[in-house]
This record gives sequence, C-alpha cells and structure tokens, in this order.
Amino acid sequence: MSKKILLAEDDEDNRDLVSFVLQRSRLGAELVIAENGQEAVDKAIEHLPSLILMDMQMPVMDGWTAIPILKGDPRTRHIPIIAFTAQAKPEDKVRTLEIGCAEHYSKPMDPEELIALIRKYLAD
Amino acid sequence: MNSPSGTPDKAAAKQCLLAADRFLKESRFHEARTEIEKAKKLDPANVYVVAFLDRINYFEAQKKKEAGPVPAAAPVAAPPPVAPQPSAPTAVAAAPPRAAAPPHAPLHPTVKPAPAVAPVAHPPKPVAHVAVPPPTVAPPPPTVAPPPPAVAPPPPTVAAPPPSVAPPPPTVAVPPPPVAAPPVPAPTAAVHPAPKPKELSAEPAPTPAEQKAMEATLEEMKRQIQMLSHSLEQEKKAREEMTNQQLESNVRQLRNSFEKSWMNGAPNDIEAEELHKLALSLSIPENVEQSLRREVKLKMYSNAVKEVIAKRQLLRSSSSTFEWLRKVYQVTMEEYLEYETKFLLDLVADQYKGTVLYVSPNVKTKDELIPRLKAAGYAVVLSGNPEEALEKIEKVNPNLILCHTEFSPGSLSGIKFLHLLRATVKFNFIPFILLCQESEVPQLQSSELRHHEGFLKKPVDVDELMITMNEKLAHFRDYVSSLS
Repeated sequence: MSKKILLAEDDEDNRDLVSFVLQRSRLGAELVIAENGQEAVDKAIEHLPSLILMDMQMPVMDGWTAIPILKGDPRTRHIPIIAFTAQAKPEDKVRTLEIGCAEHYSKPMDPEELIALIRKYLAD
Repeated sequence: MNSPSGTPDKAAAKQCLLAADRFLKESRFHEARTEIEKAKKLDPANVYVVAFLDRINYFEAQKKKEAGPVPAAAPVAAPPPVAPQPSAPTAVAAAPPRAAAPPHAPLHPTVKPAPAVAPVAHPPKPVAHVAVPPPTVAPPPPTVAPPPPAVAPPPPTVAAPPPSVAPPPPTVAVPPPPVAAPPVPAPTAAVHPAPKPKELSAEPAPTPAEQKAMEATLEEMKRQIQMLSHSLEQEKKAREEMTNQQLESNVRQLRNSFEKSWMNGAPNDIEAEELHKLALSLSIPENVEQSLRREVKLKMYSNAVKEVIAKRQLLRSSSSTFEWLRKVYQVTMEEYLEYETKFLLDLVADQYKGTVLYVSPNVKTKDELIPRLKAAGYAVVLSGNPEEALEKIEKVNPNLILCHTEFSPGSLSGIKFLHLLRATVKFNFIPFILLCQESEVPQLQSSELRHHEGFLKKPVDVDELMITMNEKLAHFRDYVSSLS
C-alpha cells in the first residue's frame, strides 16, 4: 500500500504545482487534497496520511486552527505536519513549530528542496 | 488468269502454291493439283509451278507404293530415258538445263554441293521424270515471292555448280542432272525434295499460319508472364505495405507506452526494461527504439517546462526548477542545447507580442494568415479596406499594419493609405507592410520606403512575413529608443 500525503491548500495553482512536483519526484506517494482546514482535519482522520502539508492561510478553517485539532486527536497526532506558508518571518516559523509542526517551509517553493523534505519524513 | 492489267498476279499465285503445299501434306493430291493449275493461270512464268507438279506426282507415287505394288502403267513410275551415273563427274557438264529454269539459277555462285547428303540423293532406282530438277527449284528469282518452304531453296545435293567451278572430288557427291535425281526411300530426302539443310532431320518448317499461331502462343505466354510478374509485384507491394503498416502500428504502440512512462520523468529501471522488452516483442529495431525514446523524452520535458513556466511565480527560482526538470527527464546538456531554440519558441509562441491591424479585401488570405499571426502571439484586428482601417486605427492603436495594395473600386489603395498615415503625425511611424502583386514589385522597389516600411509579394510566405514583421518592429523599437 502506497504512502499518502495530505495537501491542505486553497490555491489551485499551488495545488497543481505541488502535485506536479510530487508526480515527478517518483516518491510513489498518493496525494490527498483538502481545500481548507476543516476538510484537512476530516481527510486526515479518514486517510491517516504519512505526512501533511498545511497552508496556514485558508478559508473556512486556517492552518493555525486545524493543526492543534489534528495534534489533539490521538488518531492523527503522530502524523508529521509541514507548515506550507508564505509567511516567512522568523516569528511565524517559531509559532508554527510551537503548535506542533515538524517543519516550516516558506513559499515560493523550490521543487528539489521540497522533495528532499518530504522524502525525509516519508522515510521516517 | 492474269490480273486485269495483264500482269501476272504473283501474290495470288503464291497463295495457290501455299494451299497446294497444305493439300500435299494432307495427301490430297487432286486439290493440290487444282491449286497448282490456278497458280499457273495466275502466273504462268512461275518456275515453282512445274516443280510443284513434279512434287505432287512424286508424292502420289510414293503414297501408292506404300499402299501396295505400283502399277506399271503409273506415269510416275516410268523409267527415265537416261539413267545417269550418280557419281560421274561428267554428269555435271551433261546436265541439261530445264527449259523453265531461270537462266541465272544454275549460275548461282554461292550454292555448293553438300557432300554428306549427296550419296543419299543417288539411289539406284531413279525415277527421273518425277524428280525435282535442281535448276527449276534452285534459287528463286528475286522478283518471285518466297515459295513455301517445301519447294523453296534447292537442296545442296541437287544444286548444280556453275560451270566455272571445278567439279568436286569423286568421293564428294556430285550434283546429278535434274532428270537423274531419283526418289529416295529415306523419309528425310524423299518427303522433302527441296529442304533447307537444317530440315533434313527436322520437322517441316512451319507454314505462315503455324508460325502465326506460334507467335500468338508466344505472345500469350509473354502476356501471362507479364501478368504473373505484375501480380507478384503487387503482392510484394501489398506485403511491404502490410509490413509498414504493422511497423507503424507497433511504433505507435511503443510511443504510447513511452509517453505513459515518461509523462512524469524518466522511468525507473524496471519500467525501462519492460519498455525495451515491449520494443523487442514488437520487432522494433534498436535504433528506432532509441530514437523514439529520445523524441518522447524531449517532448515530455518540453511540456513540463511549459507547465513550470506557467506557474513560475510560485517558484522560488525558475532556473533551478528547469535544472531539476532536466535531471528528472534525464535530458543531457547537449540535448538541451540542441533543442534549446525549440524549447524557447514553445515557451514564447503564445505570448502576446503586439496588435496587428490587417487590412485585406481577400477573405481567403485572411483565413490563411490570421491563425498564423495569432499562433505567433499577435492580436489581429481585421479591416476590409483602408477607410475601415482609418476608423479603427485610433481605437486599436496597432503595433504593425499589414495592408494589401488593391481594394475594390472607390477605396483607397494600400499605397495611398500608407501616404495618408505618413501625413498623420500620430501614425507616422507605425511599422507598415504592403502585400502586393508581383507586377507591383518594381514600382515598390523604386519607391522610397522607410526602414519601418516594407512590402512582400503575394502569395505570402508566412515565415518570410514573420521575419519582415520582426525586422520592422525592431526598427520601430530602435526609433522609440532613440527618442529618449
């Protein structure tokens, strides 16, 4: 059974680009898409992915709200979450780590760098 | 019975002789004689008539002899008054020429006796008066049409040598006098009193009808061979076509598999091995497989680059992304450099380059050029004539004007439209290209067109048009740059 990656991202272009990069990374992981935080929580519980890429600014429920929910749920608390955000200030990075994110990745993305990061968490 | 003009009808006489020959071969002696009589009436001077009658008599006698004892009273069996000695050398000199013989016949210098056959020609039982007299059947006179083969050339054995020729040695057969030529029991000699040498041991030469039939048969065989060759050729072509179609189908199948595998980058080792096995099972040559792989790889890489370009604002660095893609698709630097122009053209082809005001009365030309202009990145605004173009020009503010020279009566010409724009300060420097007839080329060449103005003759070569447009736009850019 292939590993799953949950991408929570409201911007379609970003979703397409991450999908494009992941397909070409040959990681063999299945990508599950969520368009907001609420959907991310639901799909995380449903699919129990190996990794979650979470945009912090989303409609309905943002990442800041969704991540504590996931970290509070015993079914999903073990899943590593990478904060995938355009907020690149040092305090933003500290804050994401404080709410339970394993990594903070600032947009715009670099395909090779992102793949290396994902590979690291999938291997664990 | 001569022809109405009184001259002998040699052709008709020949036909009678041929008919007589046929009858003779069928042992229908009466009919043969009738034909000979007809020939005699048609051409009394024909030397073969007498000879032929002798032949008929001889064959008739032979036939009767074969059937039973020959009656003593039979005219053909009458003994000759003189029975010459077959091998007597003096017989040559004593041989009296027949009255009907052409005077030149015995003098034919090329005719020589054939030693091998000569002894056979002199059996001890002569039937002198029915034998074929050599001089009479000797070489035919030039004016006479060739007789039937059986009577045509005289046998060498009976041809009399010219008096000036030294007589042959005794061991060699000496041509006997005509009266002394006896019938020979041997079929070759007896049946063919006047055969060609090669016919001595062969079947009779074919009649013209037989020859015609043989020719027809040969033609038919030739035709059948041609048909067979044609069929074989067609079958070969059909097989080649089938092979090509099969190969095309196999290549298509492999290409599809390659595209699927290369969609997201170079396939892994297992997939690559499977693709190679597929190529082998489809009997696709190694070089074709390699070429196909390279083609698909570059196509997929090019598509991926396009996708990345479209989302480049989401990427930290386009160049590092391209570099990553080059690795993903295993595109070597050499390959990249080789195809760089194509990749770049793909990238910029649909990017907006400017607006073209296209003034044309010709719908067909519009149809041909507009898609090409749009594909090259231009927005195209159409006008049916210069007047309409003048109405649109201010609103459209074109980067370039493409204009035909001729329009319907009452409209401005393309050249007048250009002059009008030159006189307007606002549109004075818009690049302008006239599309003209070949006959207008000299006039336009001599006209003083400025750097950003030009012309192309119709039919327009699109590549040439693109080059000219780029050139004129470059002049315009230089002009605008010079203003600052």
